[in-house]
Amino acid sequence: MPLTLEIVTPEARVYSDTIDTVVIPTTEGEIGILPGHIPLLTRVADGELRVTKGGVESHLAIGGGFAQIEGDTVSVLAEQAITAEKIDEGVVEAALKRAEEQLKAAPLNIDTSELERLQGAIRFAGVQLALKRRVR
Amino acid sequence: MASTRDIRRRIKSVKNTRQITKAMELVAASKMKKAQQAALAGNPYAQLLARMLARLAPRLTEVQHPFLNQREIKTRGILLLTTDKGLCGPLNANLFKLVLEVKTPAKFYAIGRKGSQFLARTKRDLVADFSVSDRLAFSEVKPAVELMVKAYLDGEIDTIEVIYPRFKNTLVQEPQVRPVLPLANLASFLAAAQTEAGTPADTNDDRDMLFEPSANEVLEALIPFYVNRHIYQLVLSARASEHSARMVAMKTAKDNATKLLGELTLEYNKARQAAITAEILEIAAAQFATG
Repeated sequence: MPLTLEIVTPEARVYSDTIDTVVIPTTEGEIGILPGHIPLLTRVADGELRVTKGGVESHLAIGGGFAQIEGDTVSVLAEQAITAEKIDEGVVEAALKRAEEQLKAAPLNIDTSELERLQGAIRFAGVQLALKRRVR
Repeated sequence: MASTRDIRRRIKSVKNTRQITKAMELVAASKMKKAQQAALAGNPYAQLLARMLARLAPRLTEVQHPFLNQREIKTRGILLLTTDKGLCGPLNANLFKLVLEVKTPAKFYAIGRKGSQFLARTKRDLVADFSVSDRLAFSEVKPAVELMVKAYLDGEIDTIEVIYPRFKNTLVQEPQVRPVLPLANLASFLAAAQTEAGTPADTNDDRDMLFEPSANEVLEALIPFYVNRHIYQLVLSARASEHSARMVAMKTAKDNATKLLGELTLEYNKARQAAITAEILEIAAAQFATG
């Protein structure tokens, strides 16, 4: 029985398809999910998510969140997610630079949520670049 | 009958009104598109998040978390989401009706100037009001949420509820009281929402759920995240409702002005014709008398 994978971010539903297997980066390390997996709820770390469907492996960069596996449905809630083909190095590098500059210029009493947002952006940009360079 | 000059003056003023309402309609329409998109795009995310928690909550009977447990409700904490500006039809008035139905002691928090004004006018216990810009960044909503959560943890309020106009479609916005905390009755609320939306129930998998790194840790991260996200989503929905309501109100006003203009023009032409006829009659009569 195939798995159903669903990746949702606040902006959009990035991925929704039936797949064979998926490897999710969690805070405890990567986990591979096959059909019939025990119900699981875990935290997702920034990293690279690998999906195999019909022998073809595709990659997504994903930024922090939660994943739930129940029955044959894998639901991933991520702050950000993007498929490898859609990553544009130029855009990512510009975003990374912008975030780093903002972080450098930030006052000492910066709002913690704003700080987290910037750090998250930098981490996610790093993940995207690493993924793009390796896949190519 | 009014003189032609009076009618002309009125026509001019109605034309002006129509122009203004038309411009406001266009502005609201473009804002509406963006707001609706934001509200709809965030929906699957918020729903999935709520579903995760709903599945999680019943399995956590042994975990004690203040957000999960129902306690005796002495003071309700209510967040009222209204608009800053008027001219949006019955949107705010409908929300105020819901507020007036709250008879038990409650502390109010408001986002939006209209709401805080109303609460002050009706002498309700308004703890704090916040304003958010049009950009509606998450960081703008956060202080309100943090304050409410703190009050909830300190026991000043025993629930967190949100009164907001739920965005259904451009023509329909439905005032609604949405419970956020405690999560004890989240599952039943979600089930009701799901049957309403016609989505199928979740797959039933009654094997024990595994938590990584641990149930407590996942919960600690997930619940505050959920509360923030959830309220943010409601704010987005309220914003979409606002712009939709405003656009519809402005469209009605514009249509009204157009109709009125037609009637006035007709009246003006009649008056003008009558004046010309009278003048010709006078000339003819004068000629007849002298000739």
